[in-house]
Amino acid sequence: MTTSLTTSDAILLVGHPNVGKSVLFHRLTGAYVNVSNYPGTTVEVTRASARFDHTAMLLDTPGVLALPARSDDERATMRALLAENTRCLVQVGDAKNLRRTLTLTALLAELGVPLVLALNMHDEAAARGVTVDIPALAEELGIPVLATVATGGEGVGELTGSLPDARPPQAMLRYDADFERDIARTADAIARLAPHPHLAARGLAILFLGGDPEVAGWLAERAGTRFAELETLRRQAAENAEGDLPALLARERTEAADALSASVIQRALRSSPLLSQRIGQYVVHPLWGVPILLAVLYIVYQFVGVFGATVLVGLLEKDLFEGILNPAFTDFVTAAVNVPFITELLVGQYGLWTMGMTYALALILPIVTTFFLAFGVLEDSGYLPRLTVIANRLFALIGLNGRAVLPMVLGLGCVTMATLTTRILHSPRERMITIFLLALAIPCSAQLGVVLGMLGGVSFSAVLIWALAMVLVLLLSGFLAARLIPGRRIPLVTELPPMRLPILGNVLKKTGGRLKWYLLEVIPLFLLGTFIMFALDKLGALPAIIRAGEPLVAGWLGLPPEASAAFVMGFLRRDFGATGLFAMAHTLSPVQAIVGMITITLFIPCFASLMMMVKEQGLKVAVAMVAVIVPFAFLVGGLFNIALRAIGMPA
Amino acid sequence: MSPKHEARLPLAFIPAGQEVRLAGFGDEIDPLQREQLTAYGLAESRPLKVLQQRPMTVILADEVELALEHAVARHIWVEKDAGDSPE
Repeated sequence: MTTSLTTSDAILLVGHPNVGKSVLFHRLTGAYVNVSNYPGTTVEVTRASARFDHTAMLLDTPGVLALPARSDDERATMRALLAENTRCLVQVGDAKNLRRTLTLTALLAELGVPLVLALNMHDEAAARGVTVDIPALAEELGIPVLATVATGGEGVGELTGSLPDARPPQAMLRYDADFERDIARTADAIARLAPHPHLAARGLAILFLGGDPEVAGWLAERAGTRFAELETLRRQAAENAEGDLPALLARERTEAADALSASVIQRALRSSPLLSQRIGQYVVHPLWGVPILLAVLYIVYQFVGVFGATVLVGLLEKDLFEGILNPAFTDFVTAAVNVPFITELLVGQYGLWTMGMTYALALILPIVTTFFLAFGVLEDSGYLPRLTVIANRLFALIGLNGRAVLPMVLGLGCVTMATLTTRILHSPRERMITIFLLALAIPCSAQLGVVLGMLGGVSFSAVLIWALAMVLVLLLSGFLAARLIPGRRIPLVTELPPMRLPILGNVLKKTGGRLKWYLLEVIPLFLLGTFIMFALDKLGALPAIIRAGEPLVAGWLGLPPEASAAFVMGFLRRDFGATGLFAMAHTLSPVQAIVGMITITLFIPCFASLMMMVKEQGLKVAVAMVAVIVPFAFLVGGLFNIALRAIGMPA
Repeated sequence: MSPKHEARLPLAFIPAGQEVRLAGFGDEIDPLQREQLTAYGLAESRPLKVLQQRPMTVILADEVELALEHAVARHIWVEKDAGDSPE
């Protein structure tokens, strides 16, 4: 997390999830943020210098469904509001849902910070017959209000031009008299005991009475032992309320937003739903949803599994690297460096170029590129949140709800990235189960490509057996984890953003950003892995490791003893390990190929994802997960070895 | 309450295509989820249109589509306007 007190002026973009904050951030700063058409993409505060004013720092905050903060995203945004030296806030709102936008404005207005309201996705509102009287709204709130379409850059110039006119909005409501009394008392106490340098005591009082944990924490830190006085005030206010105080306060804000939006909005009658709405309804239709899902999966498989993993890998690995680059580089190194040790380190059997860079660029890059392109199209189209509806029942079996499908699908691209994305899940229990399942049974695109390439060469049934094994392990381990990890399942409630035609430029931009992230992670680890293999080989340790692993690898898994080396590589990245097995493909029988791929898939994903697990779940939980995953991978691999031999598959 | 309103029904029982008004949340919905629903724009007497009921309840509230599990939709009480009929 990058929230901290800064000396420069900060302009914070705040708003509901999936209203276009990150696109606007990119427009205003030129900095890349992962942008998607599903709520919760931004899981951390991102900052960059503003293009229009280099003295200002622009902050993209995670979407808030509501304030006071409840979820991790909302807490991150609240921390930014508390910590930053805020020049002004830019509230990005959904023009077609003004009431919800204004519910948040009603709270932000109480913070006493200059505000500009950008009503984004104005085009979608117009298409739905929603017209907002913007001058009237600006007058009522007393702040600049602008219509924007961030994806097309419309209104962005006007927005930056209006920032100097930002001012604290007029209050949108007076709460019930009893609440007003409690708010005033609490605000007085905050002004005395823990005044904030920028935020109004009244706004903090409303958030504190509403149960915001970040505001409570900040006040406790500032007020020290006198925080007890504030706690007493909150307890008294809660006792005085006829019902749940935070809910009652939120309801009054909703009513105020309702009244204001009704006065400035006009809706034209529409005779039929938009095409995008019809498509959106078909993809979650009880009858059509599953065939559409199968068709989508088939197209993705054709693009990633066939075009990426076969055609492009063939072109790059066989034609470019093995045919041209590697011989040329080997000749060059041999001629230029007359030291056999260095030559071998660079272009030998475990050479940094011939193994490390060739694996990373020729085998992995085409696969992840095609996957990220496909994923980018799917996420910008609005299909992925609808997938949560289709997948919900299946995920209920493993104690999760359909929302977990998003990190799981992203995990098919990069498990490390997906582990970070589990923050969109609402409870620590859901996050823990999902991270465990990601680490255990979700192959990343690089590994998936290797698995498909290798088992596809054996037979289609080999691919099916592997896929069945993964689904069984996923369901069984999810089922057990859901029963062992305390807590209850949270039923799914989710917004379905409109289906949109993805914009090619945006898809390419985010694919570029993800590839950069991925390559920066993968190349150093591939080089390190290759160097370790080289060193083990030179020191003569590789044969010793192969001997040590023999009972497990050759005995229990039934693989050639040399496969131990692949598992050593798998500790760094399992796709690296899988690629090691791939390199031995011609020596493996069908059973050995399947068993090897099952075992390596169930292995911990990679060093980077392990680090991410530690970051997200703490060292103890991460170590416990690894302690379960590694023996489990060998156990399942061995059981499949026995079963497949028993049914008479060629071993 | 308007005399035109009928009895309160669970949202999960309303056929697709019907428009209803939200009457309230049952006590079975925990306070956090209630806050979440309010934040999504579900408030008393707001009109909703039911788009489908399987595999989940999908509704249109203002211009926002929301998907709700039946475990939640069963405890959201709605009122049908007397003149309404399925599309």
